[in-house]
Amino acid sequence: MERTPPSSSAALPIANVVLRILIVINWVGGAAIAVLLLIMPHKQWIMTSLKLSPSPDADHVILGLRAIAVFGLVAIPLNYLILKRLVAIVDTVRAGDPFVAANADRLQSIAWTLLVLQILSMVIGAIGNAVSKLAQPVDIDAGFSINGWLAVLLIFLLARVFAEGTRMRDDLEGTV
Amino acid sequence: MAIVVKLDDMLHDRRMTLTELADRIGMTLANLSILKTGKARAIRFSTLEAICDALTCQPGDILKHDASKEAVK
Repeated sequence: MERTPPSSSAALPIANVVLRILIVINWVGGAAIAVLLLIMPHKQWIMTSLKLSPSPDADHVILGLRAIAVFGLVAIPLNYLILKRLVAIVDTVRAGDPFVAANADRLQSIAWTLLVLQILSMVIGAIGNAVSKLAQPVDIDAGFSINGWLAVLLIFLLARVFAEGTRMRDDLEGTV
Repeated sequence: MAIVVKLDDMLHDRRMTLTELADRIGMTLANLSILKTGKARAIRFSTLEAICDALTCQPGDILKHDASKEAVK
C-alpha cells in the first residue's frame, strides 16, 4: 500500500511552532509560580501587597494562596506532557502517517492528563472560593468547566477513533 | 493464519516466475511477495480474479484452509 504523501498544508508547521512556543510559555509560567512560592514564606510581603491586616482570616488567605500556587505548579508538568504529545502527533501528521497505534495511546494519555487537570482546576477553584471574603475577594479563573469536561470526553472518544482507524489502516496495508 | 497461500506451488506448476505473474496482472512484485509469503491480511476479489486468469486456475488452487495452523493476530 502506498503511503499518503506528507501534507503540504501550512497549518501543520504553524501548529508545530505554536505548540513549541506554548511549551516555553508553560515553563516560564511554572518558573513564575515557583518564584512566587519562594517569596510566599515572607508573610509580611504578601500582607503588604494584598493590603491585609494581621488577622486569622489573613492567615487563611495566605495559606489558600500557597496551596493554589502548589497546585498550579503541579499543573505545569501535566501541561508539558500534553503539549509534548501534541507535538508528536502533529509530527506524525506531517510525515503523512497519523493513524498509528502510538497516536491512539498519546490521545488516551492526553485525555487522562486533561481529566487530572480538570480536577486540579476544581480544587484550585474551591480553595479560591473558600479563602475569598467580601473584604478580600480572591478572583481565580478556575473551577468546574463544562467545556473542559466536554473536551476530556471528546479526546477519549478521539483516542478510540484513532485506535479503530489504526486497525483499519493496518488491514488496508495488508490487503493485496 | 489458518489460510495458506499456495501460490508457489501453482507458479512452479505453470513454470512461471513471481516477476512474470506480477507483470501479467499488473501488480507490484512487493505486493505479490506479501501474498506469496502469507503475510497478507486480505485479498481483493479483483486480485484473486487476475491471478486465476493468469494461471488458469481456481481460487482453491491458490488458497487452502489448514485448521492445524493456529490463527495468529
